[in-house]
Amino acid sequence: AEAEAEAEAEAQIDSELDAQAKYNKDTEHNNHNPIKPYHERSWKITIHTLGSTYTRQEQNEMRSKFSFLQFPGPVQMKHPDDEYLFIREVELDAMGGAVYPRHCKGEDGKTKKELIPENDARPPLACYFGRVLGNGTLGRNWRGSNRLFRYSLKKRTYLGPTSMDSELSLIMTNLAKVQKGSFAFDPFVGTGSILLTAALRGAQTFGTDIDLRVLRGRNPNENIVSNFQQYGLPPPELVRSDNSIYHRHFRKHLPLFDAIVTDPPYGIRAGARKSGSRRGDGEVRPVLEEYRYDHVAQTRPYAVSDVMADLLNVAAMTLVMGGRLTYVIPSMLDFNEEEDLPRHDCLKVVSVCYQPLQTELGRRTVTMEKVKEYDDRKRDEYLEGTWVNGPQSAEKVANIRERLIEAAKKKPGYEEKAAWRKQKRKETKEAKKRAKLEGAERSQFQVNQFNRR
Amino acid sequence: MRLLTHNFLKSNVKGTENGYPLNIEVTTINCEESPLDKLFLLNLLPKVNYPALRTAVQQISQHCVPPLPEIPEQLDVSDKESNQNLDHETLKNLHRVLFDVYLIEGWLVCPDTGRKFPVKEGIPNMILHEDEI
Repeated sequence: AEAEAEAEAEAQIDSELDAQAKYNKDTEHNNHNPIKPYHERSWKITIHTLGSTYTRQEQNEMRSKFSFLQFPGPVQMKHPDDEYLFIREVELDAMGGAVYPRHCKGEDGKTKKELIPENDARPPLACYFGRVLGNGTLGRNWRGSNRLFRYSLKKRTYLGPTSMDSELSLIMTNLAKVQKGSFAFDPFVGTGSILLTAALRGAQTFGTDIDLRVLRGRNPNENIVSNFQQYGLPPPELVRSDNSIYHRHFRKHLPLFDAIVTDPPYGIRAGARKSGSRRGDGEVRPVLEEYRYDHVAQTRPYAVSDVMADLLNVAAMTLVMGGRLTYVIPSMLDFNEEEDLPRHDCLKVVSVCYQPLQTELGRRTVTMEKVKEYDDRKRDEYLEGTWVNGPQSAEKVANIRERLIEAAKKKPGYEEKAAWRKQKRKETKEAKKRAKLEGAERSQFQVNQFNRR
Repeated sequence: MRLLTHNFLKSNVKGTENGYPLNIEVTTINCEESPLDKLFLLNLLPKVNYPALRTAVQQISQHCVPPLPEIPEQLDVSDKESNQNLDHETLKNLHRVLFDVYLIEGWLVCPDTGRKFPVKEGIPNMILHEDEI
């Protein structure tokens, strides 16, 4: 029986090597490294213990626990063929620190000193072990290409201050279950960065925005459509419209979208706007017929509480049953997921993923699913029921930039820092000016040299 | 802007209820073939307003080179099951008119008030002026 098992194992290895040889032959014309056979592949185990620190010795003890796997190849810490990841997950607080830290903080509040035995003995929330398929550094998959890097914003022809980084866009479209054949919608499409990842996943895409300049881009070679062309994707459908009056731009239609993925404006970098006169007195001047062609319609500020209420309502109205809405919402520490998230009778919260950005600021990626058919007659009811705690919840996410600046102003040393920053900016500006003049002189000198010849 | 989008746009200037479908005035039009996505098309058809699509095709057909294919005069697309029985030629033609024709410059005109919504660089501008809200 043993001999049989051995023979079987050998046959298995032979067939794998055959497949390997065939693969090597097929990829010979590619310049990538052919896949090494399993027993030659170098490897290492990386330990992730977010929230806790472990000494090198402690980490090696963890590594040795996996020796039973008996990877045949050599261990190689730098650029191994395969990287395995061991993650030891402990409970984290809102700022990304451990709730039960392993070490207590030293007197100066910084250096970690002694071990806290009760905390150290606590079992982890979970442990994960797996092979790394791709990440920022070891991002080469077996084809030799770094998938994320290809879609990095650095390579994009058309960018704006609100473009969403490709990693978060990919995650959002994944959460919204965007796939081949989906119809994906972004009502605040901006530069189209989220819609692009939806198209990457094989979806047909549709985007609207009230801002004409961002829709049109800088020029025909630097706009949303050119971004799509850059990746060989079919172009999105774009409409300049106002999401607060979606039902006035679009006819009543059967639920159309499989996914709505968006980054709504929160008055942080791009203030939200809606149609209508800016005049506070309610008086509207009529637009004379001869000016109508070129008239730039006025828009007025659009409160965050309404932005979210309208977004959820449009989602409830236009998503198919089971379709998903995924959006990001910036929030500070005072945000309570249970009470402050906007709600809709037809939508159920599926997940909330919190990402800390700074000490007090983070962002949440919220995914909701349509579970109930939309009833036209209940429109006002739906809109009013958005904020369980009233519009003050919306205020928590609005104008965070201003609030952060206000908070920073109150901290000691703010004025000195602000003055120092101002001085630095002045110096940089002058250095740039000088460089420009020198450059101009240099090129003029070169022109003169050329002319003399 | 493709006819897919046009099928859903309407005019609601000062609350008119008769602003659909919008009439199309063509200045520049482009045609670019794309492969038929049968799954997507079948999912989409029950949501399409077919008479509006047919009218739109008639309005722009003369400007297209090569001319747009003929689509049936009447078609009930509301039932997903029966749509699957549509012959391949019809599906191809429906795909062509919905996805492969791009209005680059032109106007969308409200059938009720005559208000013209401009289409520039392929993007229709539906924003109502402050006195039309």
